[in-house]
Amino acid sequence: MTALTIDRINKRYGNLHILKDISIPIGQGEFVSLLGPSGCGKTTTLRCIAGFERPDTGRILFGERDVTRALPEQRDIGMVFQSYALFPHMTVAENLSFGLEVRKVAPADRQRRIADVLAMVRLEGYDKRYPRELSGGQQQRVALARALVIEPSVLLLDEPLANLDATLRDEMRFFIRDLQQRVGITSIYVTHDQAEAMVMSDKIVVMSAGTISQFGSPREIYERPASQSVAGFIGRSNTIGGKIAEALGQDSYKVETPCGSIGATGPAGLSRGADVKIMIRPENINTRSQAAAAGQGAGEGGHSDNVLSGSVVNSVYQGSANQLAVKLGSGDRVIVDVNGRNPLEVGEQVALRFAARDTWLLAS
Amino acid sequence: MSAVEAAPRIESRSNRGSATWMVVPALVLLIGFFALPYLTIITMSLREASTRAVYGEGFTLAHYTSALRDFYIWGILGRTLLIGATVTVISLLLGYPVAYHLAKSRSRWTSLLYIFVLSPLLVGLVVRTFAWMIILSNNGVANQALQAVGLIDFPLQLMNNSLGVTIALTHVFLPFIILPLLGNLQAISPDLAMASRSLGASRMRTFWKVTLPLSMPGIQAGTILVFVLSISAYVTPAMLGGTGGRTMSVLVVQYLVDNFRWPAGAALAIIMAAVAVIFVGLYLRLTARAMRRLP
Repeated sequence: MTALTIDRINKRYGNLHILKDISIPIGQGEFVSLLGPSGCGKTTTLRCIAGFERPDTGRILFGERDVTRALPEQRDIGMVFQSYALFPHMTVAENLSFGLEVRKVAPADRQRRIADVLAMVRLEGYDKRYPRELSGGQQQRVALARALVIEPSVLLLDEPLANLDATLRDEMRFFIRDLQQRVGITSIYVTHDQAEAMVMSDKIVVMSAGTISQFGSPREIYERPASQSVAGFIGRSNTIGGKIAEALGQDSYKVETPCGSIGATGPAGLSRGADVKIMIRPENINTRSQAAAAGQGAGEGGHSDNVLSGSVVNSVYQGSANQLAVKLGSGDRVIVDVNGRNPLEVGEQVALRFAARDTWLLAS
Repeated sequence: MSAVEAAPRIESRSNRGSATWMVVPALVLLIGFFALPYLTIITMSLREASTRAVYGEGFTLAHYTSALRDFYIWGILGRTLLIGATVTVISLLLGYPVAYHLAKSRSRWTSLLYIFVLSPLLVGLVVRTFAWMIILSNNGVANQALQAVGLIDFPLQLMNNSLGVTIALTHVFLPFIILPLLGNLQAISPDLAMASRSLGASRMRTFWKVTLPLSMPGIQAGTILVFVLSISAYVTPAMLGGTGGRTMSVLVVQYLVDNFRWPAGAALAIIMAAVAVIFVGLYLRLTARAMRRLP
């Protein structure tokens, strides 16, 4: 059942078309991220859901209820802001009490619920503090508690971790995700950080220039990106240009490239002769020095393995891995992750081996 | 104590040192042109009256005791404070919505509204007061308009009383409450109002529970400014007040210039200043209670 339906909403400011026919179905208890660069419309979408913006056309449904014309205070939402937006003249307990008082919850009930939610965000004993007496991470946990204590039907998070430092941000990702799963609340999370969206979400909506580039699970989006821009935005990727030579199965193809013929996976229905880009993630490429590869022969991999040769032009030590830049015979440069202890030198000839199932074809 | 903890202290001390030097020019100005003249006025108010010089030889408290026994002076003092309080309340009620609008609005007409807000300060005091005389006098614009519409048969007494002074002072001092409020309201993150609405509070509730408490510093600064400026204003009450709207500053000048009673006039000025300090002090204590929770 869909807890929240965004149905073909459009929003314009003057000549600017900010949202173009955005539709997103969100299931009960799902954690959905709106991901994209600034100006892609993700925040406007969130504000439409919250009721701070009204779409020009289209509908927004909470369950069966049409809230398109409802004021924010009538929608039953919880919202967490990048700036935390805690009321500075109220203590933590008063901040949490605010939404409960509006809902006319009895004082005894209020106290119990405030204590419960403070325990949930691990801030017991902080109820008498003012927001200014808390660290950034603590303030954001209070903001989360304030949004959750009213038990809203939807939780909206607007880049809540953007103001925190890197270590705390990593910690808070798991904290928020864990809390969201325990409470089981439908959540919409706006972020421009693809790593954040990957680790936290059930589904990701990749947006650019007011449209949805792709809507799917993190795995789908990472392994089966819908376009070059999605592939480029999520993680690192290599692309090699070519033409479809023949379809080997429903989703497997033989692609003719300047480096030779490559077996690749791609969406069904690509026609013969179509221009495509073969996407390969750096971690899916195996590297051997040419000499070692010759010694072992080709028998080790499956028949679907592709082998390309090239020379190392750059090597960057990254701790857990070395990132190599390899120049192929065709002139394309490919980024490859290799084990940090692998002794490959700049200038060395290497064989790059990757499976057809680890590739994905993008229309070019 | 570790070096890490000690470091900021050293820095703040050196900062404080440089800040001290920057205070000096203003301090010189304040002592030279404020404290010294005040001391002179205080001594003058304690001198005996004289017909041959500005003041006589001996010292006396007589100017204070006779002033405090004079019901006429109490009346004028009361009127001055009443005008001050009325102007302050009306400017707050008129100015808050303007400041609120200016703080929220992103329209390009905002700059026009800014100019309107500042317009009373762009025109000379005397010219502006003459304009008010043209509007408020018995056969002035306001009365003629009201008579033409048929709302009144005889002209209303709009000047030479407290009413005219109050109207004109409110006009002049409106910017002095709008500007501090505007600065204050602009500093309040719009996220706070959104957070309040998301928690289920209406616009009204959001205003009373979030925006208004957070704008108390601006209200305090603005109201004190307007009150102090109103009770010490001279030109406006002198030109528009007549006898019915005479205020303390008009009376003081009358003592000094018309009656040549410098020591008695000085005593009146000191009484007025003392009353102002007491009222502002009480007001500060009262408003500090409302602001004690603010950062």
